[in-house]
Amino acid sequence: MLPYAVAAWLFGIGLYGIATSRNFIHLVGCLGVCQSATYVLLLGLGYRWGSIAPIFYDHPPGTPAVDPVMQALVLTDIVVGATLTALLLVLTIQAYKRGGSLDPEKLRPMRAGSKSGRGQGSSRGKDEERTAP
Amino acid sequence: MTVILPLLFLLTAASGTAVVLVRDPTRQIFAIAVNGLVLTILFDALQAPDVALSELAVGSAAVPLLFLVALMAVRTQPPEEKS
Amino acid sequence: MSPRARVALLALAALILLPGAASVIAGLPPFGATIARYGERINAITPEARHVANMVSAINFDLRGLDTLGEEFMLLAAITGTVILLRGRRGEGKTGRAMRRPGRAVIPRSEAVVLACRIAGPLTALFGLYVVLHATVTPGGGFQGGVILASGTLLIYLGEGYVGWRDAVRSPWLDALEGGGALLFALCGLAPMLTGAAFMQNVLPLGTFRDPFSGGLMLVENLGVAMAVAGGFTQLFLEFMEETREADEPDEPGEESA
Repeated sequence: MLPYAVAAWLFGIGLYGIATSRNFIHLVGCLGVCQSATYVLLLGLGYRWGSIAPIFYDHPPGTPAVDPVMQALVLTDIVVGATLTALLLVLTIQAYKRGGSLDPEKLRPMRAGSKSGRGQGSSRGKDEERTAP
Repeated sequence: MTVILPLLFLLTAASGTAVVLVRDPTRQIFAIAVNGLVLTILFDALQAPDVALSELAVGSAAVPLLFLVALMAVRTQPPEEKS
Repeated sequence: MSPRARVALLALAALILLPGAASVIAGLPPFGATIARYGERINAITPEARHVANMVSAINFDLRGLDTLGEEFMLLAAITGTVILLRGRRGEGKTGRAMRRPGRAVIPRSEAVVLACRIAGPLTALFGLYVVLHATVTPGGGFQGGVILASGTLLIYLGEGYVGWRDAVRSPWLDALEGGGALLFALCGLAPMLTGAAFMQNVLPLGTFRDPFSGGLMLVENLGVAMAVAGGFTQLFLEFMEETREADEPDEPGEESA
């Protein structure tokens, strides 16, 4: 029961970190904690006491081994998850350049025809000049 | 193994909590690297050496570097508009 | 939404979902009691059916190879998105003056670091190649080995500096590696159909058990994944580090340098 409770705890605290974060880069780190919660859950489901790893190089085939399907799922997930973390960081950098701040409270959604970020103080003329080819 | 595994699970919960509670991004990078290392040890104890290799290379080398360089890019380049 | 409202909503959602989560945790089988039957069957039949010793590689490249095809293209798409977003703003030139903050002293690289990187870099690359090639006998495979290889190129950056790194690791090669790896994997799926077999069916000779050359088509797919992951991650590092360079002059007339 402990691994499943740990997975639920990690997911919950990751969500809490995302909801109360004051910095986008800190937010992406908390998303990584949520991802690790799923890894712990999957590998905890696939374990069996007294089994070997699912690699039959030193042991003869037929020895009880842990579940290889869960490990295959988690393996590709870790690598692809790191790539998506990189994509999120790039979006953070772009949002910082456009909005001027890394604080989720200070950035507002983009609206057509006006500059995003900081609500007030958008300059329409400069923005039209920038988007013209 | 019956004693080590619960301890490792509790250690994982603690390091995950540390990643969230460290608010400064520069310091959070170290917490992320330590979390990657703790997860590697946990995965190896759960008889998953492939996953442990993957998590070690990614969680302790690649991801902290990406965070570090992202922080540096944010600091060296000021935002374009100054209102 | 104000922060307090957000935390209140989160607490409310946790309160509502907590009984459900508790009942699910209590209803799951006890930790370590048994594993799913699908995994049990795979452990029982794959060593004779495919002559491989690493079950995880067999699942990744043969039994569930279609899922890995999807994951690899997800990787490719994410890296392409990153490159487009970063290069679109910055242009394609390169300078030697990167990673410097104006007004801060530049500390020269210490010789211990250079020596350590020159020893550790080739060793890491060799270890990465070993992990890639022994996919079907020991813990290893394309995903793990590819990331180790990409981390090895970082040691080049630490030891030689930004200019040396940019000369050693060139962007066109990385593009070719990344795209070529994905193409190889997709061809491994389509090529068996030319001989009348199913998509991604293992048509090559299977080899002997516990030998590095076992598994048939798995080895080619493994190579494709290793190329794609190594090229992709190094491309990510390169794009991120390029992001911190100072631009010499604006890339297009009339636009301020970023």
